[in-house]
Amino acid sequence: MHAPEFDSVPIPARIQTIQQLTADTALFRLKLEEKLPSVFIPGQFIQLSVPAGGEIPISPADLPAEDGTMELCVRRFGHVTSLLHRTKEGDQVGIRGPFGNGFPVDAMSGKDVLLLAGGLGIAPLRSLLFHLLRHRSDVRSLTLMYGAREPAVMLFKNELLDLANTGSLRLLLTVDFLTETCQTEPACNVGLLPTLLKGVQLEPGHSCAAVCGPPPLYRCTIDELLRAGVVEDNIYLSLERRMKCGVGLCCHCAVGQYFCCCDGPVFRYRDIKDIPGAL
Amino acid sequence: MVRHFLPDNSLGQFLDGLSLFGALHGPVRTTEGVEVFGPVRTESDLLLNYRRTLIPPKKYLLPPRQTILNYTVAAGYTLPDEPEPHIILFGVHPCDLQGIAYLDRVFLGDRPDRLYRRRREAITLVGLSCEPDEFCFCTSDENIPRNADLFLQHVEHGFLVSAVTSKGEEMLDGLGKLLASSRITPQTSAEHRMMTRIREVARSGKTFPDSPLWERFAARCLSCGACSVCCPTCYCFDVLENGALDGTTADRFREWDNCLFRAHGEVAGGTNFRPDRRERFHYRYLHKYLGFGTLAGVPACVGCGRCRVVCPVDIDLTELFTEDGDACS
Ligand SMILES: Cc1cc2nc3c(=O)[nH]c(=O)nc-3n(C[C@H](O)[C@H](O)[C@H](O)COP(=O)(O)OP(=O)(O)OC[C@H]3O[C@@H](n4cnc5c(N)ncnc54)[C@H](O)[C@@H]3O)c2cc1C
Ligand code: SF4
Ligand code: SF4
Repeated sequence: MHAPEFDSVPIPARIQTIQQLTADTALFRLKLEEKLPSVFIPGQFIQLSVPAGGEIPISPADLPAEDGTMELCVRRFGHVTSLLHRTKEGDQVGIRGPFGNGFPVDAMSGKDVLLLAGGLGIAPLRSLLFHLLRHRSDVRSLTLMYGAREPAVMLFKNELLDLANTGSLRLLLTVDFLTETCQTEPACNVGLLPTLLKGVQLEPGHSCAAVCGPPPLYRCTIDELLRAGVVEDNIYLSLERRMKCGVGLCCHCAVGQYFCCCDGPVFRYRDIKDIPGAL
Repeated sequence: MVRHFLPDNSLGQFLDGLSLFGALHGPVRTTEGVEVFGPVRTESDLLLNYRRTLIPPKKYLLPPRQTILNYTVAAGYTLPDEPEPHIILFGVHPCDLQGIAYLDRVFLGDRPDRLYRRRREAITLVGLSCEPDEFCFCTSDENIPRNADLFLQHVEHGFLVSAVTSKGEEMLDGLGKLLASSRITPQTSAEHRMMTRIREVARSGKTFPDSPLWERFAARCLSCGACSVCCPTCYCFDVLENGALDGTTADRFREWDNCLFRAHGEVAGGTNFRPDRRERFHYRYLHKYLGFGTLAGVPACVGCGRCRVVCPVDIDLTELFTEDGDACS
């Protein structure tokens, strides 16, 4: 896979729409003025330039469309993301990429596929979900387990419920705790994400899981996944690290001797389980 | 390889000849008394018997701060287009030549870096043999490093000069009248035991997880970063953008970063993948001795000894190897 040079000029893109999802997270729909230089694979990331702010890695939250549109679901964290949240529809940003490997979608074919998202980890998994729904007959079953801190910060909830209603997706939602204002939330478990895996039994070798979420999520879900029968080779973890160049040059993102930006960000559990500090 | 003899008293003219090909830089002493690579005005500026400069020649290829993109509202992001002046870098020791060879593998390998390439192509390397001291342990298995364009070896009353590349030959063409043919065979030296050990460690992928040294290093390291700044093969960089207050123009630049700094492993939201010094030393160790990515298995340390000289609290990662039962010093 050929990623652009680290100092290549970003492709100009206009912000078409901004949809505020929660107090600190919004969905930015961009229109790129040029085609991406290579086909996008869910789980890959792009480098988003916010003019006069800087560049940050973001995993697209949908499948970039033929008409050059792409959705980014971004939480306001610091310098660059705050500037992005201050932009208006019609403003210009820049895109480079795609970078990284993405999820091994071909290896999922014929299997029971489990997507496990925690918090903002839903962004890249929504992209993978869209891909799998488009090729729904390639996989045996499709389940999304999504956990958020509380009901108010659950992203894409109505969209996910609509998709589940079509019958092509099994959806399990959970929140860490209920707040007073939303005691009546329907269809939602209370408890950490791994609690959704309790009692689940899958066929070893014919099941796989893609996981994305905050760092503690990996440690607490892996044992449950293994117990449920998913083999080490079929657990795909999308890792986050500080990354600046996207092509293995700036050396911030190493996981053992792998680079998260170009050997990852998606790793098979088997390949990283013995690396100290990987998870 | 043909070696020519250059007598001491012709060095000035030889340097004049070299400077026809570009601005002459070499080891000089600053007014503050620091030995650095810098512009050479006259032969007497040159430190022909220097031990090591404070900062290695990587600064010519990867400047501490370098603009990578410019931004204006009208033009968007554009590549800066500054011509690179041609530089003849004189007096580079074998360890530093090997340092450059390593950087070449990183920046001209499978992910070529345009900015690095431009600077690399604009530099001519004139190597110079050196006298090792107690801090260094460079590999002398190639007595004439292959990436020097010209290489000079100290001999009695002068130097032996060899042209290693065609660029080097071209430069010697015009300087023939200063050179005499020579039958002197320069001394060769064996590989330093420490370097042999480092190569073994890189091959076997040893990480010494149980060594008590990690704790001892972590307890006294000041996280000053001097060991990386002065290392000829440390190249981690940060990318930052400096926007004008009104947001209409900006410079995106890369800047030397440092794996011993706390922020190196930090991501948004405060998670830090290497929050303590011990982990940061492990990271430095992995990169320096075992290698990352496509360079896994290729040790980056070239034995220049700079990190051992500069560390204010005498931390020396190579103690890991001696600790392991192999007396190397
Ligand atoms: C592969 C990948 C995919 C991501 N996808 C998303 C996404 O879909 N949505 C989303 O909201 N966030 C995502 N992030 C996190 C996002 O990159 C950070 O939130 C962002 O870099 C923070 O920048 P800032 O300037 O606002 O924060 P500050 O804290 O001000 O950060 C300063 C600088 O540090 C660097 N930095 C900080 N955090 C990170 C980080 N996690 N990774 C790399 N560099 C960092 C950035 O260059 C940033 O400019 C992703 C990160 C990675 C590595
Ligand atoms: S690690 Fe130390 S001795 Fe080795 S090349 Fe770097 S500065 Fe020189
Ligand atoms: S020079 Fe010494 S004190 Fe400074 S960061 Fe390196 S090891 Fe730590």
